[in-house]
Amino acid sequence: MRYDSITEAIGNTPLVRIDPSVHGLRHIDLYAKLEMLNPFGSVKDRPAWHMARPHLQDAAGGDGTVVELSSGNTAKALALLAGMHGLRFKSVTNRMRVPEIKELLLLLGAEIEELPGQSECLDPTDTDDPLTRFHQALSEPGSTYLHTDQYFNPRNVEAHAAGTGPEIVKDLDGRAPDWFIACVGTAGSSTGVARVLREHDPDVRVLGLVADKSDFIPGIRTIDEVHQVGLFDPATYDSLAPVTSQQAIDGMLTLIRRCGLLSGPTGGAAYEGAVRHLAAVDAGLEGTGRRESAVFIVCDRAESYLSYVRQRRPELLGKARRGHSAASLGDDEIRAEARVAGVDEARRWIAEGEPRPLVVDLRGPHAYAALHIEGSVNIVDELFEELVRGGLPFSKRTPVLLACPVGEKSLRYAALLSRMGHPDVRSLAGGIVAWRDAGAPLVRE
Amino acid sequence: MKDAPLYLRPRVDPPLASLLGDAPFLHSLVDALGSPLNVLLPEVVAENAERFRSVYRRHHLAGRVYFAHKANRSSALVRRLAACDPAAVGIDVASLEELRHALSCGFTGDRVMATGPKDAEFLWLAARTGATVNVDSLAELDQLAETVRQYALPRTDVLVRLSGFESETGPGGAGTRVLSRRSRFGTPVAEADRLWTALERHADSLELVGLAYHLDTTGLEEKGRALERCVLLMDECRARGLAPRAVDIGGGFGVGYVEDAGEWERWTTALSEAVLGTRPPLTWRGHGYGLRNEAGTVRGSAALYPAHRPTAGPGYLDALLTGPAPVLGRTPATLLLEHLHDLYVEPGRALVDQCGLSLARVLEVRPLDGDPGRFLVRLGMNAGDVSLEEHGVLVDPVLLPRRGAPDDSADGGPVGVHLVGNLCLEADLITRRLVFLPRTPRPGDLLAFVNTAGYVMDFHAHHAQRQPSARTVAVTDEGGTRRWCPDENYWPLTHPQGASA
Repeated sequence: MRYDSITEAIGNTPLVRIDPSVHGLRHIDLYAKLEMLNPFGSVKDRPAWHMARPHLQDAAGGDGTVVELSSGNTAKALALLAGMHGLRFKSVTNRMRVPEIKELLLLLGAEIEELPGQSECLDPTDTDDPLTRFHQALSEPGSTYLHTDQYFNPRNVEAHAAGTGPEIVKDLDGRAPDWFIACVGTAGSSTGVARVLREHDPDVRVLGLVADKSDFIPGIRTIDEVHQVGLFDPATYDSLAPVTSQQAIDGMLTLIRRCGLLSGPTGGAAYEGAVRHLAAVDAGLEGTGRRESAVFIVCDRAESYLSYVRQRRPELLGKARRGHSAASLGDDEIRAEARVAGVDEARRWIAEGEPRPLVVDLRGPHAYAALHIEGSVNIVDELFEELVRGGLPFSKRTPVLLACPVGEKSLRYAALLSRMGHPDVRSLAGGIVAWRDAGAPLVRE
Repeated sequence: MKDAPLYLRPRVDPPLASLLGDAPFLHSLVDALGSPLNVLLPEVVAENAERFRSVYRRHHLAGRVYFAHKANRSSALVRRLAACDPAAVGIDVASLEELRHALSCGFTGDRVMATGPKDAEFLWLAARTGATVNVDSLAELDQLAETVRQYALPRTDVLVRLSGFESETGPGGAGTRVLSRRSRFGTPVAEADRLWTALERHADSLELVGLAYHLDTTGLEEKGRALERCVLLMDECRARGLAPRAVDIGGGFGVGYVEDAGEWERWTTALSEAVLGTRPPLTWRGHGYGLRNEAGTVRGSAALYPAHRPTAGPGYLDALLTGPAPVLGRTPATLLLEHLHDLYVEPGRALVDQCGLSLARVLEVRPLDGDPGRFLVRLGMNAGDVSLEEHGVLVDPVLLPRRGAPDDSADGGPVGVHLVGNLCLEADLITRRLVFLPRTPRPGDLLAFVNTAGYVMDFHAHHAQRQPSARTVAVTDEGGTRRWCPDENYWPLTHPQGASA
C-alpha cells in the first residue's frame, strides 16, 4: 500500500476472532479490534488526528504548541503529529506513572509538565485545582496553545463514530455485535462506537470497564475519575464493572502467549473483563440454540509496559543473575571472610604500607567529587557489582582498602573478594563517616 | 429508604484504644473539668519520635527530628520530647512564645530551630539562647546578622530555607518539569547566589549549618527532587568555602485518620455522585467540598485531607528516602549518607499521631425538619475546638454512652446526624459531613474525636461568645494504673509527687 502521509494509514485495523479454546465461551464469538496496529501504536491515533487536524492545518509552521492532558497514547500520537507539522507538543499530566512512556515521549520531542501533588497542609478556601489554573492559562489572550481537550472534545467521539464503529459493522458482514466491551478512559471510543452500533441495532449491549479505585491501569479511569470526563455519559453503558491491574496482566498474558496478540495491559483488561462478564451470558445461552457475538478493543502494545509488569509480577521478567555476587553471602560468611581496618590502622596502612593499598571508594561519583580520601579511586557500587560478577578486578599483589559511607557495603565486598581468592582486601570500619568523625583528612580536588 | 451508613471510622492504635475503652474514666474527667476537654497521651509522642529515629537508623543517617510545635500548644508533649535523647530530638518553634515555651519545658537552645515569620524579639532570643535560625529570606538574614553584631550575641547557626525548585532545570536536567504549588516562604533557588554572598559577608556573625525546604504537597517525587537539588546546592556552598552539614526537608509526612481504605473510597465516590445529584447529599446543604457539577461533569478538586493513607508518618519518610532521584540516580538516603550530610525533619501532625483525643458532651438531640430519621446533635464544643473542617479532615467521632452500653436495638441502630456547635451562629458545624453513629446519641453521652493532637485540638480554639475553651489533661499509665493531671502540671517524671505507686 502506498501513502503520501503516514496519517493515511490511521484506521482500518483488523478484527480478529479469538480462538474459543482460549476464552472457553461456547455460544459467543469473541473478536478483538486491533487498534494497536495503528501507525503510532494505539487507538488514540484516530482521535488525536481528528482533533488536531483543524488546528494543524491553520497553524503549520507557526510557533504554536499543541497541548493536551495526557500521560500516554494521546500524547504519543499528538507529539508525532505536531512534529510532522513543525509544531511543538506539551503534555501536562498528573503523574507519569509508566517510566518507559515518559522516556518515549521525551524521545519524540514532547515537553512534559507534571502537576503538583495534593496539598498536605490544606487551605480549604483554595478549591481551584491545578487543572482549573491550566485551563485559565490556555485561554489567556495571546496564547499560542492549541488545546485538543480530549476529555471534552466531541471530535474525539466522532473519530470513532466515523471510523472504529463502522469498521466493526463492515467486518461483521453489516451486523452489529451483540456485545461491545470498552475500557473507559476519555470515553471517546466507547461513546463513538456504541453510537454507531446502536444505530444498526438498538439492542447492542455495552459494558464499560473502569479501574478499581485504589488501582492503576494505563488508559482506564476509576469510577470517580470518569465523572470528571466531559464525554462520559452513564447512559452509554448498560453496565460499568471494575477491573484490577492483576486481571489486566492476566488478560494481557493470555492474548500474548495464546493468541499471538502483543497486547498491553489495557487490552488485557478489556479481554479479561469481557470474558468474566460474558461467562454468565454464555451459560444463559446454553440450550437456546442462539449464538451471540462480542467485540473488545486491543488499545495498544506490550513493549512500553515492562516496568508496569515488573512492579506487579516481577517473576514474569527477572531471571536470576549468574556469577559472583555479594548478595549471595550470608551474614555469618561475611563475618568469617571479611577483614576490616579501623580508621587509624587504615591511615597507617595508606601512609606506610609495603605495598600501599589501593583505596576504592564505592560511593556515587557526585559524593566522591565533593569529598574523598586523597589518592582513592571511585568505582560506584553498582558498577563494582558488575565488575566482580565476572571475576577479580584487581591483581592479587595489590592490597585493597574498600570504603563506603558506613562500612556496610564495603564489608560485603571485602568478604566476596576474599572468597574469590584475593589475599589482602579490607573494609574501612565505619566507612567515610567514621573517617570524617575521626578528623582524618578528606579532600576536594 | 435510607442508604447503608457511610462510616469513616477512625484508626485507633492500642494506647488510645485502651483509653477509649475506659468510658467511665473519660466521663468522670468531663464531669469534673467540663466540655470540651482535650486528653493527651505524652508517652505516645516519644514512641512516635522513636519510630522516626528507627528510619534514620535503617539508613545510617544522623541528624535530629524536630517537633513542629505549632501542631499543638500542650506543655506535656513538649516536656516529654525534651526528655528524649538530646542528639535525636529537637523542637521547631515558629513564634517568640513557642520559643519561650520550649525553653521553659526543658529544651536547651542548641536543640531548638526557629522557623516561620520572625520579629526582632524572636530573633534576639533565638540567637541569645543558641538556637538554630531557619532563615526565610535575604532580608531576614541581614536582620539577624545585624542583631548578632549590635547586641554582641554569639555566632549564630543558620539554615536557609529555599523554594522555587521547579524552575530549575539543574545540572544534567531531569527531562520533565514537575510543577509545585508556589510558597510565599523561603528564598527562590534562582537567587541562591545572593544568599551565599550574604553568608560570606556575615561570616563573623552567622554560620551556615545547612539548607532547608518545606513543600506543601503529598507528592513524593516533588520532595525527592527538592532534596536532590539541595544536595547539589550543598556542594555549591562547599565549593565557596561554606561548610553546611545538614539538609532540612521540613514536615508534611502525614497521618492516616481513617482505618479502612474501603470506607474512604466509598465515601469519596458517594461525594461525586451526590454532587452530580445521582444520590442524596452527604453533607449539610449539599456542600461539595470544592467539587461542583458543570453540565453533568464533576469539576474542581475535593479540598479534603487524604484521610486514609496507607503510607504516612515514618513510613512516608522511608518511602521518600528510598525513592528515585532523577539527576544523580542514587536514592535520597544514599545521597545524604554518601555526601556525609545530616538529615533534619520537622514533623508536626505525624509526630503527635495517636497522641490524644477531644471530648464533647452531647447537649441536645433534635429530629431534623423535613428529613425523617436524621438528627441535629448539639455538642458542648464548637468548630474552633475541633477544627476538623478547617483542615479538611473527615473522620467519625466515637460514641461513649453515659452509663454502660445499652442495647443498640432499642435505639434503632445506625443513624445519620449533623453535629452542631455551641455558638449562636448558623455556620458553627463541627463538620459539614453527615456523620453516622451506631445508634442515636442521648444528652449526657460523650463524643470522642480521636487523634486530634495534630492541628485539630487547639489550633483554632477561641473565646467567642465567652464559651469555655477546652482544658487539656495528660494521661499516663504507671504500672497499670491510669493517672491524669492538668497539662501544665505534667513533667516527665515517674512519680511526680514523690510517692511511689
